[in-house]
Amino acid sequence: MSRLGGRPALLAFALLALLPLTPWMSKYALLLAFDALLFGAVAMSLDLLMGYTGLVSFGHAAFFGLGAYASAVLLQRGVLSLWLGLGAAALAVGLYALVVAYFATARRGIYFALLTLIFAEVVYTFFRYTQTFGGSDGIQGLPAFELLPGVALDTPARNYYLVLGYLALAWAACRTLVGSHFGKVLVAIRENEERARFLGYSVQRYKMVVCVVSALLAGLGGALYPGRAAYATPDLLLWTVSGELIIMVMIGGLGTLAGPVVGGVFFVLLQEKVSSYVDWYFLVVGLVLVAIVLFMPRGLVGLVDGLRPRPGTSRLGARRAAA
Amino acid sequence: MEYLIGVLLPQLVHGLVFGAALGLLALGLTVIFGLLGVMNFAHGELYMLGAYVGIAVIGVTRSFWVALVAAPLLVGVVGALTEVAALRPLYRRPPLYGLILTFGLALVFREAARQVWGGDMRRVQPPITGSTPLLGMTYPNYRLFLLAVSCVLLLAIWLFFTRTRAGIVVRAAVEDAEMLDGLGVDVRRVFTLTFAGSAALAALAGLLLAPVFTVYPQMGVEMILLAFIVVILGGMGSMGGSVVAAFVIGIAQSLLTLWLNPQRVAIAIFALMILVLIVRPRGFFGREGVLE
Repeated sequence: MSRLGGRPALLAFALLALLPLTPWMSKYALLLAFDALLFGAVAMSLDLLMGYTGLVSFGHAAFFGLGAYASAVLLQRGVLSLWLGLGAAALAVGLYALVVAYFATARRGIYFALLTLIFAEVVYTFFRYTQTFGGSDGIQGLPAFELLPGVALDTPARNYYLVLGYLALAWAACRTLVGSHFGKVLVAIRENEERARFLGYSVQRYKMVVCVVSALLAGLGGALYPGRAAYATPDLLLWTVSGELIIMVMIGGLGTLAGPVVGGVFFVLLQEKVSSYVDWYFLVVGLVLVAIVLFMPRGLVGLVDGLRPRPGTSRLGARRAAA
Repeated sequence: MEYLIGVLLPQLVHGLVFGAALGLLALGLTVIFGLLGVMNFAHGELYMLGAYVGIAVIGVTRSFWVALVAAPLLVGVVGALTEVAALRPLYRRPPLYGLILTFGLALVFREAARQVWGGDMRRVQPPITGSTPLLGMTYPNYRLFLLAVSCVLLLAIWLFFTRTRAGIVVRAAVEDAEMLDGLGVDVRRVFTLTFAGSAALAALAGLLLAPVFTVYPQMGVEMILLAFIVVILGGMGSMGGSVVAAFVIGIAQSLLTLWLNPQRVAIAIFALMILVLIVRPRGFFGREGVLE
């Protein structure tokens, strides 16, 4: 049980499950909670790469957004089944992630980050300019998912439970992965890639697998989004969204899984709260980010071991090694 | 021949003009990358600030030329303050922190600009009007001026880095900051001044391009990706490579728009970059050297 986070996690999920029953959860608050948990879960999937394997993906928005488009296209064509939407998202994101992972994992450090960024920009440009998918307006006015034929997920509370279930499954998957032998090898790669290779591990294959797993988790999360928002727009794929996901991971704490969930929730609530009072919320978000990097590098929860330079190399040395 | 003069040639010159301005933007980026090991995400916002500060100065002085001097200086000061206040504490940390910090700074600058100057598109009147017959076509004078100024600046920067002591110190800092520190140079001051210079260059590019493009708070976001591509294509940390790559991208982009729609052009340029990253990640000239 401890592998899945033990009592604190169970308690947290129990409290989250009770949340819609409390009197102060309006429809608006439930939708906000949906976003918070959804982005928390997607940030957690990114943490598998950033925190555990030491790979900074600057294109995670593409996995998320591609999943959203996959299920949105089905909804638009009248295919309401949630499971088909998730399946389509898994297929599309999985194939795309295989291509990205194959090329990106061949490179390290900033080159990995830039390759993921550029691949994501290709996807963004494609959806932004393809009229079949609505161009810059995206796909609008979508119906709700059906859990089973006739059982529509058309209330905020139902959608909330949907995303909570997704978070719980993603959490269990990430915990299991991180606790397994596979997860230990990822940490070994993060700490010292050469040594992991000398021990006989196929480093690139491990990186590819974790990339695809992380992408699938993000894509499945994205597939849920049109059910709640009734749209999928190219803005979901923009590289600044990838940046925001990185911010969520950093706010919460790298390599902790729970941290990025907290970071995602914190980020969504901060953005929403600040933007309801002032229209310059990005200024506040930016300043919070700067402050966290400067004064709280370990985030709300975590440790930053994986991103420290290797012993014996200076900052410049580490950069050369990466190049 | 008609096609050559009527269509191909203007587009080629457009590409040269754009490439030269892009080179100014990318140069600052590549120097900062060499110094700090950080891709400065806020560079596009410094470019945007250059245009807006320029507009503000034009509003006061009614002169584009005064703005062309004042805006880079003011943005350079912003750059210096940023370096001292935010980036300096991060030099002992892994580069990822710098990357994320500059991403945050970009948000702050962009939003601040939107608050101060509003979110709508603005245009700057070109200070030079009219056009000149050139190789059988007529070409706007301002763009020719833009090309000339950018080329002179690029040349001046090259002379600075090869012929002056200050330039050689900056290159030494790019090469090995610790060694330079050991030799008794005040590396912190070098970092601050270099960052200020890079910010000033970005601002200059922003104001120079303002009469050609439109000015709006998001303008940096679109340019910065192109500048990243240029820096990578040229080889990270290679200034000569950046300039060459800027012209390659500038010309490729304007020629490709003749045959492809903008979406395909963007994807073609991304594909080119993916190819370079996979086949030759150090780009055209990226080795250890700084100026090839």
